[in-house]
Amino acid sequence: MADGHTQPLLSAQISVCYAGKPPVLRDVKFEIQRGEVLGLVGQSGSGKSTLAMSILGLLDKKHSHIEGEIDFHDSDLLKLSERELRALRGRAIALVLQSPLSSLNPALKIRTQLKEAWRAHASGSGEDCIHAMRTALQNVSLPADDDFLRKYPSQMSVGQAQRVLIAMAILHRPALLIADEATSALDVITQSEILSLFRELNRSTGMAILYISHDLASVAGICDRIAILHQGAIVECGTTQQIFDDPHHEYTQKLMAAIPRIQSSAGNKTHAATAR
Amino acid sequence: MSLWQKLACAALVLVVLASFAANWLAPAGYAHQYREATDAPPSRTHWLGTDELGRDRFARVLYGTRISLLLAPAAALLSTLLAALIGGIAGYLGGAWKRAAMAVTDLFLSLPWLFLLITARALLPLNVSPLVSVMVTFLLLGLLGWTSAARVLCASAALLRGSDFVRQARAAGINGRRLFWMHVLPNLKPVLFAQFWISIPVFILSEANLGILGLGVAEPMPSWGSLLKELEGLVSVGEEPWKFVPLILLVIVVTSFQILLSRQQEVAA
Repeated sequence: MADGHTQPLLSAQISVCYAGKPPVLRDVKFEIQRGEVLGLVGQSGSGKSTLAMSILGLLDKKHSHIEGEIDFHDSDLLKLSERELRALRGRAIALVLQSPLSSLNPALKIRTQLKEAWRAHASGSGEDCIHAMRTALQNVSLPADDDFLRKYPSQMSVGQAQRVLIAMAILHRPALLIADEATSALDVITQSEILSLFRELNRSTGMAILYISHDLASVAGICDRIAILHQGAIVECGTTQQIFDDPHHEYTQKLMAAIPRIQSSAGNKTHAATAR
Repeated sequence: MSLWQKLACAALVLVVLASFAANWLAPAGYAHQYREATDAPPSRTHWLGTDELGRDRFARVLYGTRISLLLAPAAALLSTLLAALIGGIAGYLGGAWKRAAMAVTDLFLSLPWLFLLITARALLPLNVSPLVSVMVTFLLLGLLGWTSAARVLCASAALLRGSDFVRQARAAGINGRRLFWMHVLPNLKPVLFAQFWISIPVFILSEANLGILGLGVAEPMPSWGSLLKELEGLVSVGEEPWKFVPLILLVIVVTSFQILLSRQQEVAA
């Protein structure tokens, strides 16, 4: 869990604009503590993915302009070379994208994809690699046998594919995992399982998670704090309890009002359909 | 597989098998001369007659088919590999690399292709050995025929570059070279295979065109092009219809390739 008195794992203050277009992110400022799960909520087009790509240095530099700083492990990510950023990607900061089946290479077996991700930052023997792959798969509750490793993405369910992506992301025990709409493409049951998995990984490994979503209800169950991103700016940030109990900003209030509620048949109380 | 596709497949298999069984099927080698029977009509000994030098035409068709059917896929393989390297890498790298590669491709595409082949072949000596002429023809076709495929592969690689799985792999810290070899190239395989298959009939026809002009495979080695050259002096179709066998064979093989290409597109779709 977060400890507000220690130096944050990641501290960012950035503005991003694409060539010839108005700014996507306007002086966005936030911090992620070690072991914290921070939810970043905003509607489509609010700049959530741009923020994730900025942290990883994966924005196309020719068509975008980033100002500000992103401090991570005492270095400004925006000042690092591509080589230095590559050394951090996957090892210290990992990413899980929205669509699991399109995020896995359709032409490669799961074994090859995990091996590639492992070899990007490790140079041990084949046995070390297999051991790391099996451990990662077991950590995400997937079978770690040869039959499973021989599968292609098209031979798996969406939920399994998402777990494989998470296994790839945690292969090197990163300090920060960015989950960019990682449950948006999943059915509600699989979504709930993946959210539980994120929570479990956060508790067992102490890995911080930046959980990006457009769905306020889905972040409620796993996030320590929530930041609300609206029109390229963070309009409100607080603990999950604060955001849900006392939303200040008009946009946050709209998001809260948009959460489906059901009428109780026993009484006249209403319940928000959240995972709180 | 439709009836036409089955027929095309059977025709190709038959032609390929016959050409590779030339040593057993033909009465003699392609260069053997029957001096007592020059320009002879078909007979029990010479099924398609003999040419003006007394060489068995059936033997020359079989050996010529073998050469053309080896030459065209080899040239197609070379041109597809070049297209994969030039187009694939340019599309993957994007930016100035892509613009430069496509400028070169546009330049090549704007040149009259057959004329370029003829010019390049004409720059080489005419009295080269048959084996060298085969190699030169194969190299010319392969080295000059990559451009259209490169354009397609460039566009395909550029699409893959922006795909989720490449972004995910980049986020895993995989370097650019591994990204291309492990993530982009394997996904270009269907396009590469289609381009290879498309190129084969194109190169068969190109070699035939060069052969008719006397710039293809050198005598005495036969190829469809050099066999078609015999039709230059033909006065009447009705008098010596057996001389059309190489042409008919060429049409059957090229058509079969096109029919099977449509089958491959159906499977890919």
